[in-house]
Amino acid sequence: MSQNFKNWPILTALVLATVPIVLMYSYLVLDTITNTEPGGILPSSFTLEHWRFLYEDIEGKANIWQVTLNTLVFASSVMLLVLSVSSTAGYALSRLNIPFRREFLAGVLILHAFPSITLIIAIFLILQLIGLYNTLIGVIIVMTSLQLPLGIWIMKGFYDSVPWEIEMAGLQDGASRFTVWYRLVLPQVRPGIIALGVFSFLSGWGEYILPTVLAPANNVQVLSGYLASLIADDRNFEFNLFKSVGLFYATPVVIMYLFFQDKLMNIYGGGTKG
Amino acid sequence: MEIILEDFTKRFGDVTVIEKMNLKIREGEMLALLGPSGCGKSTTLFTICGIHRVDGGRVLFGDRDVSRVPAQQRNVGVVFQSYALYPHMSVFENIAFPLTVRKEHKNTIREKVAEIAELVHIGELLERRPEQLSGGQQQRVALARALVRKPSILLLDEPLANLDAKLRLEMRSEIRRIQLETGISAVLVTHDQVEAMSMSDRIAIMKEGEILQVASPTEMYQQPINDFVAGFLGNPPIAFLDAHVQDGSIHLLDGKIQFDFPGSSTPTNDTKIRLGIRPEHYQPNNPIQIPGTISFVETQGRENLYDVMLDDGSILRSIQSSANASIEKNTKVNWGIHPEKLLIFNQAGLRF
Amino acid sequence: MSLSAKLGYVFIAPALVLVAVFFLTPVLLTGIFSFTNMSTATGITGGAYQITPSLLRDLSDQGFEKATLDSIGSESYQIAKATLQIAREAGSEPSLLAELEEEHLGQNFTSRREFERFLKKLQNRPRSTRELKSTSPHFRKSLINERFETEKDLKAALTELQTKLTPDQINKLSQAAYTGWVWTTDNFYKMTILPETKQILFNTIIYVTFTLLLFNVGFALFLAIATFYLPKGQAGIFRALWLLPRISPSVLYVVLWKWLTWDTGFLNAILNPLGVAQRNWMLDTTLNAWVFVVLINGFIGASMGMILFSSAITAIPKPLLYASEVDGANRWQQIRFIILPQLKWPILFVTVYQCLSLLTSFEQILLSTDGGPGSTTEVWALAAYHNALDNYWGNLQYGYGAALALVLVVIGVIMSFIFLRFFRFQELVRQPRIEQ
Ligand SMILES: Nc1ncnc2c1ncn2[C@@H]1O[C@H](COP(=O)(O)OP(=O)(O)O)[C@@H](O)[C@H]1O
Ligand SMILES: [Mg+2]
Repeated sequence: MSQNFKNWPILTALVLATVPIVLMYSYLVLDTITNTEPGGILPSSFTLEHWRFLYEDIEGKANIWQVTLNTLVFASSVMLLVLSVSSTAGYALSRLNIPFRREFLAGVLILHAFPSITLIIAIFLILQLIGLYNTLIGVIIVMTSLQLPLGIWIMKGFYDSVPWEIEMAGLQDGASRFTVWYRLVLPQVRPGIIALGVFSFLSGWGEYILPTVLAPANNVQVLSGYLASLIADDRNFEFNLFKSVGLFYATPVVIMYLFFQDKLMNIYGGGTKG
Repeated sequence: MEIILEDFTKRFGDVTVIEKMNLKIREGEMLALLGPSGCGKSTTLFTICGIHRVDGGRVLFGDRDVSRVPAQQRNVGVVFQSYALYPHMSVFENIAFPLTVRKEHKNTIREKVAEIAELVHIGELLERRPEQLSGGQQQRVALARALVRKPSILLLDEPLANLDAKLRLEMRSEIRRIQLETGISAVLVTHDQVEAMSMSDRIAIMKEGEILQVASPTEMYQQPINDFVAGFLGNPPIAFLDAHVQDGSIHLLDGKIQFDFPGSSTPTNDTKIRLGIRPEHYQPNNPIQIPGTISFVETQGRENLYDVMLDDGSILRSIQSSANASIEKNTKVNWGIHPEKLLIFNQAGLRF
Repeated sequence: MSLSAKLGYVFIAPALVLVAVFFLTPVLLTGIFSFTNMSTATGITGGAYQITPSLLRDLSDQGFEKATLDSIGSESYQIAKATLQIAREAGSEPSLLAELEEEHLGQNFTSRREFERFLKKLQNRPRSTRELKSTSPHFRKSLINERFETEKDLKAALTELQTKLTPDQINKLSQAAYTGWVWTTDNFYKMTILPETKQILFNTIIYVTFTLLLFNVGFALFLAIATFYLPKGQAGIFRALWLLPRISPSVLYVVLWKWLTWDTGFLNAILNPLGVAQRNWMLDTTLNAWVFVVLINGFIGASMGMILFSSAITAIPKPLLYASEVDGANRWQQIRFIILPQLKWPILFVTVYQCLSLLTSFEQILLSTDGGPGSTTEVWALAAYHNALDNYWGNLQYGYGAALALVLVVIGVIMSFIFLRFFRFQELVRQPRIEQ
């Protein structure tokens, strides 16, 4: 901010600290289209062979497109479910006269901080009991449920900042509470919907533990599990391949991130501000 | 339509904000609800339109008891202080919204919107978004949206508070014009007495949840029922002097000034009273002279306002045309009052 | 009920159901499971009653009367309605069966040879040895490996077989024969005596403390303050870069670290020419493993603090900062006396929040060191996961894993309540202004 202080010491320190990130991510891109001599640092030749997984199945692995489709279905369903459930529940908590509103809200806040991953064992057993183990639907519902406290909390924050007068005006104009919500309030919280939507999509896209534990079967595998099993498999130990799959996997994330960076900052800051 | 509040009571939790209020809004009139901020004006307004529930008493629209009728079915038009335009809709969509939720036919909607836009002079703005409008234009849109479905009554909550001085003057007459042209009953909530006096047929003055007096602006100015009403109306404000009654006369400044008690029902001896003297009634040529020293001069262009400090330290105000040469601070003056023009209050603040 | 309450119920119901089933129930069930011996072997639904040869051996080792066990373990051949029925269904010669039923019902034989010798003497005897051999097994009666669905069935069978058994012995036998899970407090007892517990507790403390202090708070502060002093564009680039680890899928992110540290990885490619021996930097020593565990988690964790601290610093009134510069404060003094005091609450918030998430997170460790080398980087949450969901021996210990998880759940519940204090709750629950 200030011109009174020199910037170069700070800049140097920051650059040094950031070197590992820059290195890792630039080689992530570079290594997918090049070969490097063993022990070498810089690539020696250009090749597209590391991308062959796109058109021929890797031995013993599921088809990449099937896995990608699973991942897409998983992430989008989580997004849609989280959005629809949070945007209604958040509105109820923010604006409607429901009994126990206070208690519900305290519950949401507590669960928001609660480390849901500790529940994975119990959830695993529940899914086995109700027969949703090894199904995409099971993981989708679980993932959605675990994201809900954060989602409701964020949406409530956005609803809180919509002026009451807009809703009052809507009532006077003859609209029902539902119409007021749907046609007048919902459009005001669009930034929240976008932020939460992108966030849940990315969470679903990147999630590893839940699909691995709750739906390990090959036909419901998602990209995280695919990549992990590729690395765990000693037969094809080839970092360039891992990276190509990894880049394929991460590209949608990076694109969405670039588009929605500002909106995401809020949520990755703990979702404490609407 | 005539609107009646009957023993209306409103509580928020344990706090009773309004207790047993009675108020009648006559057919076709503009009634100003005037009072200091926090006295319960908006609460009253929100009760009439159905956003608040009544905790006691009734709200009548004509003969119909609407106390339990939800806001959507009361057909009340409201203009909010912040206008509450829907930011994601164009002006046209804003105005059309009440009609679209009633599922009226497209063509009907277009006609009605055009008609009302004509009335409030925003015909050329229909395609714009609210954020592209000035404050005054937003206000007009809000009015149009409130009026387009021909409500039984129009409620205006501090409609001018968010406007700058020039627009406020303009919209003052505009709102009045529109109300008169449509002939709709209206309630104007305001804490500004000038607005109330200039825009309304009658004023209901409120204090701490109670209606003190309902009267036309002139009547209320000339015949306030108590010192609060007298003090609230008039700018520059009325000044008060302590006095007492002795043998049918009013004694001022320890008896240095005495004059006959005006009117018939003279209070008993030693009754303490307060005299309310409006600035326009403390003037050089009036019969009962009260000497003092000018302690403050404010030039208001057309007029000058003087504060005059009396011997006992109390202050009188005088407003005089600036055509006369202005008088310096610290000048001793001997201006006077007129007994007939005095407003005399008892110890409890009520008029004699 | 008011209009808005009705809509409110409809609006909140889906959330309530989902949260109740997949959030609150698991909390309860973690508690319940931790008091059972559930495992792959017991299954998670009920079990059955079954006496196996190995069970008999165990009981014998425990001093159960040998003769009794032998007789339970022995087999006999019975001509009874039930065995005849079995033989009939299996398609044995009807004339033979009819003869057995009419003339020999109720006879017992103690061995197969004796029974077959008897069969050969019958009028309708089996015509071939093959037929004989296929008929005789249907009449075998043995408790061994037979599955009884209820305890009552087993007890009845025992009584029928061995009248000499005391009720006490029968109870003991049936209890031992149960294959399902049972209630027990053994998990907690086990937790207190196992030496591993001490190790994972120690590991968890190291992991949380170092990651939290060095990165999630410490380095995050550095990032926030440093980017604050940079021009907007540069600051934006650094913030974006430091969010990358957070948004990258964790599997990919860990692959990148592996590439950096692997035997043939980038570090070796750089260090080898300098004469440093090639090795797996992530797993070759305990110290290195810890360094990378902290780095991998720290690089992810720094971004939350960075964002929160940055916005808190931006909220400091500019005149305050300018004034301090006019007063001659150097940068360090400005940070120390103006910026840091403003960050007190955000720092506390991040510390509590991240402490909780670190305590319970194990994804990155699982993917990178998997607790190794040995179990030197096995933290509590990972141990729970390994025991219950992914252990080397294949017999998953749900009960013990749940008990380990329960410890974290209890800590989580307590800290979440502390967390509530960070919010001005009264303000959040203002009465709705529309009273419908
Ligand atoms: N929703 C509410 N809950 C509690 N108290 C309220 C609420 N709305 C208004 N009040 C209180 O009622 C009194 C009257 O408020 P209001 O009608 O808004 O006054 P005004 O005359 O300024 O419009 C105030 O003291 C205010 O604090
Ligand atoms: Mg008000």
